[in-house]
Amino acid sequence: MENILEIVNLNKSYNGIPALSNINLSVKAGEIHGIVGANGSGKTTLMNILFGNPIIRETGGYQGQISFRGNKVNFKNCAEAIRQGIGMVHQEFALIPDMTVGENIKLGRENTHSLTDRLFGRKYSFIDRKQDYENAGQTLRRLGISVDVGIKIINLSVNIRQFIEIAREIDRTDLKLLILDEPTAVLNKNDGLKLIEILKDMSDHKIGIIFISHRLEEVQYVCDKVSVLRDGKLVSQYAKGNIYVNNLAQDMIGHTINKAAAEKREMENKPVITFKDFSVKMPGEEVKNLNLSVYKGEILGLTSLSGHGKLALGYGMMDMYPVDGEVYFEDKKLVKMNARTNIIKGMYVLPDDRQGLGILADQSLESNIIFTGNQIKNMFIRDSAFNFLGFIDHRKTNLHVYKMMLDLDIKCTSIKQKVKELSGGNQQKVCIARALTVDPKLLFVAEPTRGIDISAKEKILNMLIEINRSRNTTIIIASSELDELKRVCDRIAVMVEGKIFKILSPDSSDVDFGLVLSGEEGVDCEKL
Amino acid sequence: MRIKEEASRLLDSEYMVPAIFIILSYFAWQFSGLTGSFVFNQVVTRFIRDGILVLSLIIPVVAGMGLNFAITVGAMAIQTALLIVIAYQVEGIKGILLAIIIGVLLSLVLGYVIGRILNRVKGKEMITTIIIGFLFNSIYQLIFLVGFGTFIPVANKEIILTRGIGVRNTVDLGMYRNTIDKLGLFKIGELEIPLFMIIIVLLFAAIIFYILHTRFGQEVKAVGSNMQTSEILGINTDMIRIKVMILSTILAAFGQLAYLQNIGMFDVYTAHMNADIISCAALLAGGASIKKARIRHALMGIFLFHTLFIVSPQAGQNLFNNAALGEYFRSFVAYGTIALALIINIKNENKFS
Ligand SMILES: Nc1ncnc2c1ncn2[C@@H]1O[C@H](COP(=O)(O)OP(=O)(O)OP(=O)(O)O)[C@@H](O)[C@H]1O
Ligand SMILES: [Mg+2]
Repeated sequence: MENILEIVNLNKSYNGIPALSNINLSVKAGEIHGIVGANGSGKTTLMNILFGNPIIRETGGYQGQISFRGNKVNFKNCAEAIRQGIGMVHQEFALIPDMTVGENIKLGRENTHSLTDRLFGRKYSFIDRKQDYENAGQTLRRLGISVDVGIKIINLSVNIRQFIEIAREIDRTDLKLLILDEPTAVLNKNDGLKLIEILKDMSDHKIGIIFISHRLEEVQYVCDKVSVLRDGKLVSQYAKGNIYVNNLAQDMIGHTINKAAAEKREMENKPVITFKDFSVKMPGEEVKNLNLSVYKGEILGLTSLSGHGKLALGYGMMDMYPVDGEVYFEDKKLVKMNARTNIIKGMYVLPDDRQGLGILADQSLESNIIFTGNQIKNMFIRDSAFNFLGFIDHRKTNLHVYKMMLDLDIKCTSIKQKVKELSGGNQQKVCIARALTVDPKLLFVAEPTRGIDISAKEKILNMLIEINRSRNTTIIIASSELDELKRVCDRIAVMVEGKIFKILSPDSSDVDFGLVLSGEEGVDCEKL
Repeated sequence: MRIKEEASRLLDSEYMVPAIFIILSYFAWQFSGLTGSFVFNQVVTRFIRDGILVLSLIIPVVAGMGLNFAITVGAMAIQTALLIVIAYQVEGIKGILLAIIIGVLLSLVLGYVIGRILNRVKGKEMITTIIIGFLFNSIYQLIFLVGFGTFIPVANKEIILTRGIGVRNTVDLGMYRNTIDKLGLFKIGELEIPLFMIIIVLLFAAIIFYILHTRFGQEVKAVGSNMQTSEILGINTDMIRIKVMILSTILAAFGQLAYLQNIGMFDVYTAHMNADIISCAALLAGGASIKKARIRHALMGIFLFHTLFIVSPQAGQNLFNNAALGEYFRSFVAYGTIALALIINIKNENKFS
């Protein structure tokens, strides 16, 4: 097989700080090439260079040579890369929020009417929306998902958006090289498998594939070759047959990982929050008449297949979508959902959509971490006669932010660095740090380890266990990572079609979970 | 609680502004004492006069560039073309066609220049288009006040001021006046319906609908929603924005042509001046915002806005017994609409979904 992509002596730095040094790498036609590395090791930077992303030029370009299908290339913009047959599934998604699912999937490749084709050329030809929507629906079904293609992206959960981001690329027929930057970060194992089948099929059709993932089992299973990045350097490569999870982990982190695990314990069943017939109208992720009590001081896992509602509960508590039903918090009925008053009462929701809701991208790491705590609880105001002016206590802030940075392993040049300059995983850590800073009585986190590397993941899980044990914080974790939930939760609630279908003990077997997730009754499980 | 929620949803919706207009118009009409058929005929006239100008605002809004106050530049382009045609005495249908060709070419060049400028001030497009409008206005004034008759020779001495330099204040379009308005004119009792011109306006609406439903239109929408993402999706955002400004300027030129031929003569130095404010107000009155505009907003807005525009001076006059008040009422209505719509829009922007 010939090389479809060759990278020679590639170097890239941001403001003088190297992000990639001396990368040599090649990908063959039909090869699935895995790239693994800790958060901030340069994976996305490398992909952005290959795809001609303008951010690379804006930050000073790169040095080195790239050949694509035998020709030297230096893409000025993404349009050139796309024209040459390169596709990319972006870690932070490239979806147009105000457009529908169907429009997004077909953008730039819309079906058009043949009459107007001949009259005005394809670019100015009338779009066949019906045909577009049909195609888009078919592609989504290949990924095993059915969602109304007429819904606007802005109304969908991150989980569903991930499918759409993928569908846009696999819908293309002119692909030569497909780059996938953490496509499975929010997908559960089953959904991930469907994608992998499609990738294998594409590789049979001689399409080169670059696959970035923090799930090493997945990488081991699907990749023909794996490159490991560490601090911007290529430290090792393995070919199929020699790919072992342990080696990859050792190479990318440099030390062994202690998996987080919470000790089992007896809980007092005193509800802190109770949902009665609670509904959230979030398209594609609806919660319907949910009944659930969460006990004081417990860690409750919430899981479901994509689109069955695990993420919508948090959005409902933030008043982002219309809700119905009753909610009791500490035995008092909540009259109206409102993010601000909920925080004052002691509830904090960390949504999964960090780009849209979680982050102030142009602000520093520091102000992002203290933002909510300071805004609503005045946690970092200097104590003085001028309290009302809201001067920030810098010593207190610094101390806190540095502690968070170390605890969560946030990779940055300084705590004043803008959050948008951090890698995806590190942005996620900033969101987690903010939630931990608020120090609520009830914490709802959605997909807390999305895009986080295997080592930092354990740190985050340990932090959650720690604040739960030391401050008695009640925590609800909505996640598709069943394995993580099983290690930290006291109970795991499985949702099917917007309702709590069953609550399982974390010791239940994977088989049981599999059955319950797909809505099968008749599993022996103690009702907790 | 349900009722309150419903009410607040209604208040936040795009029907808020049109609803206010309907109510205000109704009461103003009652006080004005004007007959229904008079108001109707006037509004229809305004519809065919201003329709295309209002429509020319839609594509820039979809492209995320806000209200294009620089449509006055398109208006000036066609006025320039008309003056050239008249100055060289090209008459009849030939003259009109030549004016259109020159006007479109001028608009194309000017639209390109405006697009280039706006690409340098991303995020501040609206204020920039206002200033561009002023700038081109002074250049235009300069050309026709001192340029015509001096270094630009003019064959038709009738349009030149007696001192031999500069164009007269008003130029008669007698040879073109109301020629097409009267085509297919329908009469139902006292109501007059100029069918042909209505169809022309609707035709332009159809053209805009068509453009927005092409691949190009999808790209315009994408750029309007998120420029950075569009760039990553392979769209040349700068080029799209330039094309959008060219289109809008050309459409505005056609709009001003329809306007002038309906009036039948034009005030060389002022005819274009309020085209932007009146058109923007009409679009907003139909429920559009600076982020979202549809064809129905434009069509509905022209009716709503001009109804109020026509009846309010008379109503003011009757209510306060002061003849001078009428004109103040008009500008109050125009600027008031823009201010109100902007406030309501900004409130809505902070809402999710
Ligand atoms: N726009 C930018 N300006 C400055 N530094 C940047 C910028 N983008 C990325 N970096 C830095 O470059 C390094 C590599 O980032 P990159 O996004 O490539 O990491 P990654 O391997 O994709 O990580 P993750 O697994 O978290 O997605 C990081 O240290 C990051 O802070
Ligand atoms: Mg990344």
